[in-house]
Amino acid sequence: MTAGGYFGRALVVDAGSAAAEVLPLGDDVLRAYIGGAGLGTWLLHRLAPPGTDPLAPEAPLAFVFSPLVGTPLTTSAKFAVVAKSPLTGMLNDALSSSHFAISGKLTGNDAIVLRGACPRPSALLIDGDGARLADAADLSGLPAAEAERRLRERLGRGWRIAAIGPAGERGVRYATISHDGRHAGRGGLGAVLGAKRIKAVAVRAAAKVASADPEAVLAAARDLRARSFGPATAKYRELGTLANLLAFNAISTLPTRNFQAATFAEAPQLAAEELAQLRTVTRSSCASCTIGCEHIYAARGGKRARVEYENVFALGPMCGVSDPDAVLAASGRCDELGLDTISAGGTIAWAMECAERGLIDAPWLRFGDAGAVLRALDEIGARQGLGELLAEGTRRAAGRVGGGSAAFALHVKGLELPGYEPRTMQAMALGLAVNSRGADHNRSGAYEADLSGDHDRLAGGDAHVAAAVETEDRAAVMDSLILCKFLRGVFSDPFTEWAALLAAVTGWDTTGAELRETASRIVLAKRAFNIREGWRPEDDWLPERLLSEPLEVASGRVARLTPDRLRGMIDGYYAARGLDRAGRPDPAALNALQLS
Amino acid sequence: MPNSAGIVLAGGRSSRMGTPKAALEWHGSTLLRRTAGILSRVTDGPVVVVRAPGQPLPALPPAVEIADDPLEGLGPVQGLAAGLAAVAGRAEIAFVCSTDLPFLHPAFARRVLRAAADGADVALPIARGHPQPLAAAYRTSLAPAAARLVREQRLRPAFLFDECRVARLDEAALREDPILAALDPDLDSVVNVNEPADYAEARARPAPQVTIQRFGTLADGHRGPQQVRAATVAAAAGAAGLALDRHVVAALNGDQITRDGDVPLATGDTVFFLAADAGG
Repeated sequence: MTAGGYFGRALVVDAGSAAAEVLPLGDDVLRAYIGGAGLGTWLLHRLAPPGTDPLAPEAPLAFVFSPLVGTPLTTSAKFAVVAKSPLTGMLNDALSSSHFAISGKLTGNDAIVLRGACPRPSALLIDGDGARLADAADLSGLPAAEAERRLRERLGRGWRIAAIGPAGERGVRYATISHDGRHAGRGGLGAVLGAKRIKAVAVRAAAKVASADPEAVLAAARDLRARSFGPATAKYRELGTLANLLAFNAISTLPTRNFQAATFAEAPQLAAEELAQLRTVTRSSCASCTIGCEHIYAARGGKRARVEYENVFALGPMCGVSDPDAVLAASGRCDELGLDTISAGGTIAWAMECAERGLIDAPWLRFGDAGAVLRALDEIGARQGLGELLAEGTRRAAGRVGGGSAAFALHVKGLELPGYEPRTMQAMALGLAVNSRGADHNRSGAYEADLSGDHDRLAGGDAHVAAAVETEDRAAVMDSLILCKFLRGVFSDPFTEWAALLAAVTGWDTTGAELRETASRIVLAKRAFNIREGWRPEDDWLPERLLSEPLEVASGRVARLTPDRLRGMIDGYYAARGLDRAGRPDPAALNALQLS
Repeated sequence: MPNSAGIVLAGGRSSRMGTPKAALEWHGSTLLRRTAGILSRVTDGPVVVVRAPGQPLPALPPAVEIADDPLEGLGPVQGLAAGLAAVAGRAEIAFVCSTDLPFLHPAFARRVLRAAADGADVALPIARGHPQPLAAAYRTSLAPAAARLVREQRLRPAFLFDECRVARLDEAALREDPILAALDPDLDSVVNVNEPADYAEARARPAPQVTIQRFGTLADGHRGPQQVRAATVAAAAGAAGLALDRHVVAALNGDQITRDGDVPLATGDTVFFLAADAGG
């Protein structure tokens, strides 16, 4: 009998014909990998042929739900999109939140996996009647939101739709999948869907899923809801993630002009504290969320823009742009095209530095030029002009341009760095270097340790290793349950509290200790997938700029992240994870992952 | 190896004060906590408090080490020998001071440490009319020489200075550092408190003037920098209407993040208060 919270099956759909087969998911697999990013990792191991090109028809792309989806637990309406990334060539899980998660799960499946490719632009529809294709030629070239709106009009009520924008259709390697204005943003999974010529996936609820102990779930939901209104989430609720910007600037952790600096003199113009007073229109929440971190600002031309720290960082200071209207416009353009703002901003910033150094012939592309950012985004979305190069991301682009530009191509494993300066956040430096997804702040979260005050953020060492392992483990569980990370501060004994939530939903006697083992298993399974797909030890490393150019912080102290220091932390991380000195698990550990 | 260490000599008898000076209160902290905290701020190596055997000490941060001076009552060279021995091999130079310097400014210690780093064995300030061997920097390799002087009962610092390269820093030389000149123009860093009257005078002085700034939701309508008087991070937080906890942290001069409210502040410091959760 399937545990509460699950259907015990994944629907594996051929995108070319909509033929579907059921992959049973036993309790052993579900308990070992939970759902979301964890279960998605297991599915990729099972369904992705080794060495597959991420954009090839046979490459699978999975929408993976989780046991908490559909419960009244706050922030639980989330899902993971999991595939081999066309940007990194590694395992990529991108999370998002919306009613798509609830309706997708209530199609009666814990995951929906797409394989194959469609001969013509189509939409894939899945409900209680199974899967079928609908012609979507009329949606080609449309922004995802517009495609979603038109398809919903056509299909009628009850359908929830995830779609790609023009960037996904054109294979931009950092294209997103979006729905209801939210994006499964990182790693280019929109390009994977685009390669299958699937413009949109529509789901409609047709089933119900029970919790093992509904009363306990309800009580937990009430408790969690109350805690979600407390001080741990005040930042997100009142100002949103953009509140990071000014604070990060003050402590020299705001990457600026392609990481040539860690402070941006014009940061106050882009600060949440400023914009919130002048521009706030409203605030909104993801489905089933009581935090409400989305802050909607008025933008030029009567438009509205969702504002988050990462898109303002990437399209503002990273490119040297300080005009808030320009940054909001660029952010809106990324939404329309379906581009990951972090990779887009990072790639454009790299290109600006290349242009400055005469390595590429684009005299119009200069740091601080807001118009140039918009032009670059349009060219990337269309894969025209310079956009053909930049659509490939910094790693591939630097490989083509050469001239030493790889030294200032700010990526790890091909994924562009988020807005956390590793030289002044050295636990985060380790987290970015070793994480399976690449340079990502949501799978590591080690910045928590850097801001804890428990150790010297400018001098990484053993304490930073332990912190990076702990935060990575926490992220692995939160991304598999799934709960929003913005909720993490409300938990005082997180693994135990999460185990109690999972137990109430599933009926399992899960403990905190078991969840810690689960976290390690998921982290290791991701690494195992990457090793299978060609990961090399040198992929766990940071860009040369970060290791050769020190930064001076406001106190006058110099932040220096040396190769030796990073090597020492990575060695410590490998030891803590039970890996050998080259970062590989031993055969016994691999066997214990239950991947075969 | 870290470049610099801090040594606080706390083992004196405080006979003129009549009560242990280490535990004397100054604007919400103790003299020892404050002095050790200032040295923690300016050094990148260990900070060691040298005490008399069994001497009770006020609360100190866990990172501060305690070394017992095996021989009580032999004066500063004995304490110096014990302190240098405690940090030898872990730092090249050490700023050594007594516990009773309520106005010791980080910029003063940095200035003196820099002078020693330039090649001298000892950087000896001459300020407010006197040499200041207990607000000076010493190369840690002097530990054996100091121990030998103790064995020879040659217990004055001058005997040590006779044997090594001493960079003497008069007031003009000290003030060549523009930061020190601006933040401690009268070189109050070397003012110590030996008698109850000294202590009363020190207590009558206001807490250092510092700048605070709150970010994000902590600003609560108080954006921008604000001048307050506070001798500790906790006092600065209090002036901002905040308390440090798991959700609120402080960044001192844009450098280290801390939740430790006892971290001492000095004139000219800037304290940022920000949310501990930096999810973006």
